Amino acid sequence: MAHYKMLDGNTACVEAIKMAKVKVVSAYPITPQSTIAEKLSEEVESGALDAGYIRVESEHTAMSCAVGAQLTGVRTATATASVGLALMHEVLNVASGCRVPIVMPVVNRSLASPWSLWCDHQDSIAERDSGWLQLYCENVQDIYDTMLMAYRIAENPEVLTPIMVCLDGFFLSHSMQKVLLPEQAEVDEFIGEYTVNNLKLDPEDPMVIDNLIGSDEITEMKYQQAIGFEKAHDVMLEVFEEFYQKFGRRKALVEGYRTEDAEAVVVTLGSMSGTAKYVVDQLHEQGHKVGAVKVVSFRPFPAKELRELLSGIKKVAVIDRTTGFGGEGAPMWVETKAALSDEYLVKGYIAGLAGRDIHTGTIEQVFRDILASDQAGEKPVWIDCNTEHAMNIREVNKYV
Amino acid sequence: MKNMKFYGVGGQGVVTATKVMSSAVSLYEDKYAITVPAYGHERRGAPVYSDIIMDDKPITLNCFVYHPDVVIVMDETVVDKNVNIGAGCAEHTILVLNTGSREKAESLACQFGFKEVYYADATHIAVEYIGRNIPNGPILGVLAKTGIVSIESIETALIDFFGEKAGEKNAKSARAAYEKTAKM
Repeated sequence: MAHYKMLDGNTACVEAIKMAKVKVVSAYPITPQSTIAEKLSEEVESGALDAGYIRVESEHTAMSCAVGAQLTGVRTATATASVGLALMHEVLNVASGCRVPIVMPVVNRSLASPWSLWCDHQDSIAERDSGWLQLYCENVQDIYDTMLMAYRIAENPEVLTPIMVCLDGFFLSHSMQKVLLPEQAEVDEFIGEYTVNNLKLDPEDPMVIDNLIGSDEITEMKYQQAIGFEKAHDVMLEVFEEFYQKFGRRKALVEGYRTEDAEAVVVTLGSMSGTAKYVVDQLHEQGHKVGAVKVVSFRPFPAKELRELLSGIKKVAVIDRTTGFGGEGAPMWVETKAALSDEYLVKGYIAGLAGRDIHTGTIEQVFRDILASDQAGEKPVWIDCNTEHAMNIREVNKYV
Repeated sequence: MKNMKFYGVGGQGVVTATKVMSSAVSLYEDKYAITVPAYGHERRGAPVYSDIIMDDKPITLNCFVYHPDVVIVMDETVVDKNVNIGAGCAEHTILVLNTGSREKAESLACQFGFKEVYYADATHIAVEYIGRNIPNGPILGVLAKTGIVSIESIETALIDFFGEKAGEKNAKSARAAYEKTAKM
């Protein structure tokens, strides 16, 4: 029988990894790591997880080992966050280029500099083009469920693309929440055994992979990866439906909340999505017709579904938890804007950097602003930011 | 919905107290509670805080608590370290305090405007029952006295969290604190 347990986001990842029966874990256990690597080592030590644990010397190697190990025909696990993900950058592209369907939880934390411990989406958004699918989670149950579904999506022979399951640092990674855990047999039935497709490393049957390839082939190989992303879109819909049938919890590429008759909506990613729903309920009580839209899949970006969901809603506020320096807007705004015609007012907001709380007041402020706006402006609004005196912080006054 | 804010100093088990409390409510009372912990550059002795959001239905809200219904102070010296334990409090906000002194409870209630205070010397009880000056078990006993959670749920959650042996001691310390709690 499925049973309730109190888990934080990190432990929810560990439970899913354990139940997916990975055979190799490679992780670099130093900040900015999460307790995922630590708890996995305990599970291996106790025998609860029958896997080899490689304590590597960097995230670059953590991903290299995961790629090598999975190419022998087993599921692997690793986890990272922040600058750790940045250090993986080179090998992320190797994993996706070799079509190794690794499932990796990413605890979303800010990138240096200045150094920060806390949540924003700089780290994973910076890996937008590394050829990985990216799903973002709203709460701890969602993390566990998404991890299970991620194996099915990534490993589908038509997809064969690695996937990041993104969870907000601290707001999810360290938040204890009630989670309904299924039995191992149910998970086995849903995920199934790992079967290696296409490339395989086998000493008995040697194969050269990831070698230098001429210009004639690479464009076509990249095109194949692009097709993998297209297929991932359809496979996700199938997997979400099957998960719903089996476990009763529904997931979508993009989810609307009280969008019917809404005059304005806020588009969100990650843990802020729950707070947005709460604020929408409160504003409804005050007579405001507002809604919330949560983007679950950032890669592939569900433009068609978003367009359908936002049909007829004139004002769209997009909150990015990342900077998008120098662009007309930050990445989520860019995607949303591109999905909609010019009839829509799509306005960008930047909030929640390096763990700055996106609280009810933040979302209310965004709604107030978008409801009063008749144009988007030329650049994003840095909400909750003292823009007037911002330079004071960086002025060196040692010699003044 | 009930919002709680736990204040204390590093090393007292403030985050653990919120984890146990949220488990007690979520697993043994058929309600929902999430912790919103504030991690930082803490060290032993520095002020820390951690929040809980609790409700009868699943919780969507995920941000820090700015308007607590219950404030739990595990070490009143945080007040001397510029922590405003009255921040965002309303008329109805209850104070749960780790002190055996009625004078201390009165002076803090007066200083920060709390109308209802529950207090017991949780640290002393922890030393007596657990042999360590970590008051997180006993303070949850004091919290149970407010009626927001049952002492039985706290006891079960403590045993579940700390394991049979250490859990039993913690559960006893929570029960002792529950019985010794004074209300003002």
